[in-house]
Amino acid sequence: MKGEKDSKQKIELDDDIKQLVITRIEAQMSPHLRLSIGEGGSLGINEMIKHIKDEDQIGKQIITSHLEFIKAQASGALISALNSVE
Amino acid sequence: MKKSVLITLPNFDDVTTYLSIFSKEIILNCQKNQIKIKCLEKEKVTSINTTNIIKKLDCKMIIFNGHGSPKSIRGHKNEKLISLGENDYLLNNRITYARSCWALLELGKKCVEGNKGCFIGYKIPFMFIIDNTRITNPIKDNIAKIFFDTSNLVPIGLIKGHTAKESNENSKRSMLKAINKALTNNDKDSHAIAQILWNNYISQGVVGDANEQL
Repeated sequence: MKGEKDSKQKIELDDDIKQLVITRIEAQMSPHLRLSIGEGGSLGINEMIKHIKDEDQIGKQIITSHLEFIKAQASGALISALNSVE
Repeated sequence: MKKSVLITLPNFDDVTTYLSIFSKEIILNCQKNQIKIKCLEKEKVTSINTTNIIKKLDCKMIIFNGHGSPKSIRGHKNEKLISLGENDYLLNNRITYARSCWALLELGKKCVEGNKGCFIGYKIPFMFIIDNTRITNPIKDNIAKIFFDTSNLVPIGLIKGHTAKESNENSKRSMLKAINKALTNNDKDSHAIAQILWNNYISQGVVGDANEQL
């Protein structure tokens, strides 16, 4: 029972993360921009969102990239790195 | 081994077109510094041509543009040029810069084992942003330029006589400066630009003898 609850929470968390990244993409990228990511080619906003919803390799890589940046901002790693070049 | 450079310039999709076009600066720097450079372009970027040129010209430095994986670097239409366990020995004792996704992870480490070579590359995908309104004339794409100006500093640093370590660090410093500039601009796209620059910043690295020079 507990395992089922944990599993449900994990799925909800994953959905929250996907939605967070989709919201960031919609807010932060102009429609005329495309992201180039390896063999995935260059992707417009809708294509990026589709990869995220499909949870394929490219979608996971886009999510990872967003999470790494968020983590760097939250942990202070980004500001510390930026201060090192000022 | 000769103080010369081999560069691959595949051009069969958006990504490889941009990689090749923005490599012009690297080629110009070779010419300016009187360093011989062999350009392997478009459909000529095949495994057999790459192997033959490396063996024949014995170039000290090799610059790969193209798709990649942890175990391979690819050329025209994704033909494998260098594969882990098959012909990675071709990169032994050389300086390699691979602007290819993932290749630093396994291939890069393997090809510098037990020799004086070094490998600079990316342990996750190298990413960049394109301005779609400039796609027919990429060289005018000032958004994509940010990602290539910063990564080009690896080979350009080596061409100017810096070590692999110095060239890698200088390139990464320029990424941080570009992130700072983007975040200071604070327009709609600046956060996305900063985030993708950070992706390249954390994934770019050097393995092997980082004191190697061209």
